[in-house]
Amino acid sequence: MEVREINIAIPRYRRKWQSFMEINGITEFSPNEVNTIEKTFLWEEDGDRAATGSIAGNVIKYVAVCSKYKEGGALFNQVVSYLLQQAAQMGRFHLFVFTKPKYVQSFEYVGFKKLAVSDTGAILETGVPGVTEYIEKLPHFEGKIGSIVMNANPFTLGHRRLVEVASSKNDHVYVFVVKNDVSLFTYSERIELVKQDVKDLTNVTVVSGNDYIISPATFPAYFLKSDQEIGAYQAKLDAILFKNQIAKPLGITTRYLGKEPYSKTTDSYNHELLDILPPEVNVEIIDRKTADDKIISATKVRQAIVDDDQDLLHEFLPKTTWEFVKNNYPNLKERLIRKGSK
Amino acid sequence: MGIKETALAGTLESSDIQITLSEGTGINIDLDSSVEALYGDQIKKVITDTLNKYGITDAKVKAVDKGALDCVVKARTMAVAQRALGTTDEPNWEVL
Repeated sequence: MEVREINIAIPRYRRKWQSFMEINGITEFSPNEVNTIEKTFLWEEDGDRAATGSIAGNVIKYVAVCSKYKEGGALFNQVVSYLLQQAAQMGRFHLFVFTKPKYVQSFEYVGFKKLAVSDTGAILETGVPGVTEYIEKLPHFEGKIGSIVMNANPFTLGHRRLVEVASSKNDHVYVFVVKNDVSLFTYSERIELVKQDVKDLTNVTVVSGNDYIISPATFPAYFLKSDQEIGAYQAKLDAILFKNQIAKPLGITTRYLGKEPYSKTTDSYNHELLDILPPEVNVEIIDRKTADDKIISATKVRQAIVDDDQDLLHEFLPKTTWEFVKNNYPNLKERLIRKGSK
Repeated sequence: MGIKETALAGTLESSDIQITLSEGTGINIDLDSSVEALYGDQIKKVITDTLNKYGITDAKVKAVDKGALDCVVKARTMAVAQRALGTTDEPNWEVL
């Protein structure tokens, strides 16, 4: 049995790789899924394809083992070991895998831990730091605990109002800021601005959502204007993960959502949350705050940066965020134009 | 002494053990083994003893065992310790 790295950008290898996977029942090859792949490995026995696996960021993808070698799972273990070693050499010790529910056991056998399982898919993780370490490091509170998840790209008065409502109705509130760097405002900018602009609310703690809440690792479809079906599948897993791994150990009993009139992705995500979280975690949808009958949204703020609409920015943003936008105006505008306004 | 870098050694194949070492307080072993009931304590002891010989007293250990013998557990622990300490080119003969 020999293993080598193949470059699937080369059509000849791409065909070899893809046809092997199709034989073994993997048929989803949308560019969104395939383009994130960094390394692909192929195992061969006397020139016959035996197994394959790929690494994309901190996700193990496209693992397939020829049915001839499935007995006993030895080759599967070899494949996963090899991928973990390769990832370790890239400095990645914390990895995720998405798979079908029927393969959960195979991955558990090689040390993966279940994060969420739905009827159509499952997400597992391995390595350190895992979800247990993440929860351990967060401050814990007693009493009635609420939570909000936000991208805050950037933090608006609409977000602020959501936090205020939650703050008034609970003993303590966690604000999870989505950790990713594909938004206009970087993660460190976003979380810092949220912290500054809710500083006066003493029962609010702003923390990172890490790899567990709407992260590019666990919920890539959220950041792509892509396939609704994949989106719903990942949204469901995200909701299950939140309920079991995050809300439960932290004692969170309510999650507050902003009503979403503009973004279809967020709207369908909210739908999944409503479906999955209750009764353990209540879901409360708060109407968007309006300014002069205009609904405040971060999307409009980003558009206003492109359009030089200073009045709207002033009207929609809390103090620190407004100052930040003002001071970094040319830089932000350039980022927006380069990315093609998202 | 603690460790600075996260490191990994070993595989998930039969008769092997895969060990990940990362920062932590005290030696904290998270062992996953099909023979844990029988040999769990012994595996943990070998890991702890070997780490102590390297002077490592603070580390989080994640071990996925596939029926490794003590000598394998020891060898993998040595490899992971040296990697975590960044001393792979200076083997510690005392430990052997």
